[in-house]
Amino acid sequence: MNGLTLPIRNLLSQPVRTSLTTLGVAVAVAGFISLTGLTQGVEHSFSAGLGEPGVDIIVSARDSFNLFSGSIPQGVAAQLAKVEGVAAASPVLVNVTSADDNASIVVAGWPDGSPLWQGVTLLGGRIPQPGKWEVVLGNVIADGLGKKVGDTISLVDQPYTVVGIGSFTTALNQNIALVPLPGLQELLGREDTVTLIEVQLARPLDPARDAAAKAELTRVAARYQVSDTDQFTSNIRFFRLIQAIGSTVSLVVLVMATIAIANTLLMSVNERTFEIGILSALGWPPPRILRLILAEGTVISVVGGVIGIGLGVLTMDLVSRAEVAAGLMESYITPGIVVEALIAVFVAGPVGALYPAWRAIRLVPAEALRRN
Amino acid sequence: MAALIELDHVRREFDRGNIVGVDDVSLTIERGEKVAIIGPSGSGKSTLLNLMCGLDLPTSGEVRFDGRRVRSAREWTAIRARRMGFVFQNFCLLPTLDAAENVEVAMFGIVPTARQRRERALDLLARFGLAGRSHLEPPLLSGGERQRVAIARAIANNPEVVVADEPTGNLDRKAAQSTMELLVGLQQSSGTALVIVTHDPSVAAVCERQVEIVDGRIVHVEHRTARPPAMMAGVGETAA
Repeated sequence: MNGLTLPIRNLLSQPVRTSLTTLGVAVAVAGFISLTGLTQGVEHSFSAGLGEPGVDIIVSARDSFNLFSGSIPQGVAAQLAKVEGVAAASPVLVNVTSADDNASIVVAGWPDGSPLWQGVTLLGGRIPQPGKWEVVLGNVIADGLGKKVGDTISLVDQPYTVVGIGSFTTALNQNIALVPLPGLQELLGREDTVTLIEVQLARPLDPARDAAAKAELTRVAARYQVSDTDQFTSNIRFFRLIQAIGSTVSLVVLVMATIAIANTLLMSVNERTFEIGILSALGWPPPRILRLILAEGTVISVVGGVIGIGLGVLTMDLVSRAEVAAGLMESYITPGIVVEALIAVFVAGPVGALYPAWRAIRLVPAEALRRN
Repeated sequence: MAALIELDHVRREFDRGNIVGVDDVSLTIERGEKVAIIGPSGSGKSTLLNLMCGLDLPTSGEVRFDGRRVRSAREWTAIRARRMGFVFQNFCLLPTLDAAENVEVAMFGIVPTARQRRERALDLLARFGLAGRSHLEPPLLSGGERQRVAIARAIANNPEVVVADEPTGNLDRKAAQSTMELLVGLQQSSGTALVIVTHDPSVAAVCERQVEIVDGRIVHVEHRTARPPAMMAGVGETAA
């Protein structure tokens, strides 16, 4: 018999109550993991997706609320393309629309002849021809919608012919629809403006030259935000907002888990007042009794935490597979998120157990023994 | 050498003084002696026992253990862990632990390793005829077996005094006699003091000193020759 035998036996002696509390903690942790993962995943999906075709720098409107609300004159791209060290500057229009009036889909308009098109690996078909209502679909959304080369898809109420299926590694691009820029501008009523300008630096990359190019880009596009691709999304207020919402909701569910643990242990301690009196009569000092109750809270929270992490990953995966989330959310789990969740449950368990434990140790043994 | 336990004009009030459990009681327990505290139900026997073990603290007066005044619950906790053993009427075994673990639980903080605690517990249970029952939880043991487990737990740390509160109260005659034989035998073999709270005269008769308490006051102290437990008659038959 070791120090954990008694707390574990105590928990097992009330299997239904312990299971429900553990499940409550698991759901709370799953909520934390999935909310944090999905909110970070949205940002990760966009930053990774935008960089996938070999884009190094993104020029966007300052303080955009979301990715799609920014507006830059298309002509700025030509000025940026002249900067030394810049291989290409492509004006890109990005929007979210419904495909066939059904699933959400991210649509990107790329200029005809842009090197961006050359970065697309096609599983089949070809890239769109200038002036035609043609589209290349990401491999996942094509599968999801059952589209193949030659089919028609409605985007922004315009029938497009699927002329290619692209193979991508990021969630954003796996679920994207790539179309010629002029047609999309016409459909969205945004002639001569784009959402952002994607800059590809000259290869091979040269740190000194690239830094100078970025400085020059910043000077030329002084009215706009010039960011490395992986930093771009941190400037979008929408991402900061959803992270704040995610963090707040996560905090609330963790507080609920703490209350659930405290409630369970309080009931358990009240029912076991007599047993605690016995331990006290046997000479168990208050700190040891305190540790007993804290251990029960910790066991519940750790077991619930481990189950919750698995449940959270599963939830993220299910949500990211939903048509409505296609390309916008991806299952995103990092060691940091797992560590945050584990720290949270390691805190929640003992904190939830503190009050019941305090109640237990302040009882006079004779009073506790009278409650048999 | 100082007396083992001394109560000096001890008073214990409850309900803000409206109820007096023990009033102006002075009593000394010497090392190795057997003392019975007798009296009718509600007379204050158990309150007195609680005060002499630090399970409760007096409203006034003082309690000394081994010549030293004990003031705090913390001091009493240390004394109870190492120097006192308890046997209760209702056994007071932890229901989630088996017999051996119930004995081990008293040795936490005293016997350093789990293996040593286990060995000691099994050894004690074997001495009390429970070798094959050590893995059973209390509900699967008879009343007599439970009380033997409780006695094994009480002496696990070689205490200087064993305090028994109505130890035969829930036992039939045979089990009660067996329990008393065990307690008296331990007292005689190890020199441990034995304090028994009982309302049963035949149980009290195994002690050489009987202290009678009525309405919270000591009304009579009698020294007499202790009778061996084998001569107990009708013991346990008053049990509920």
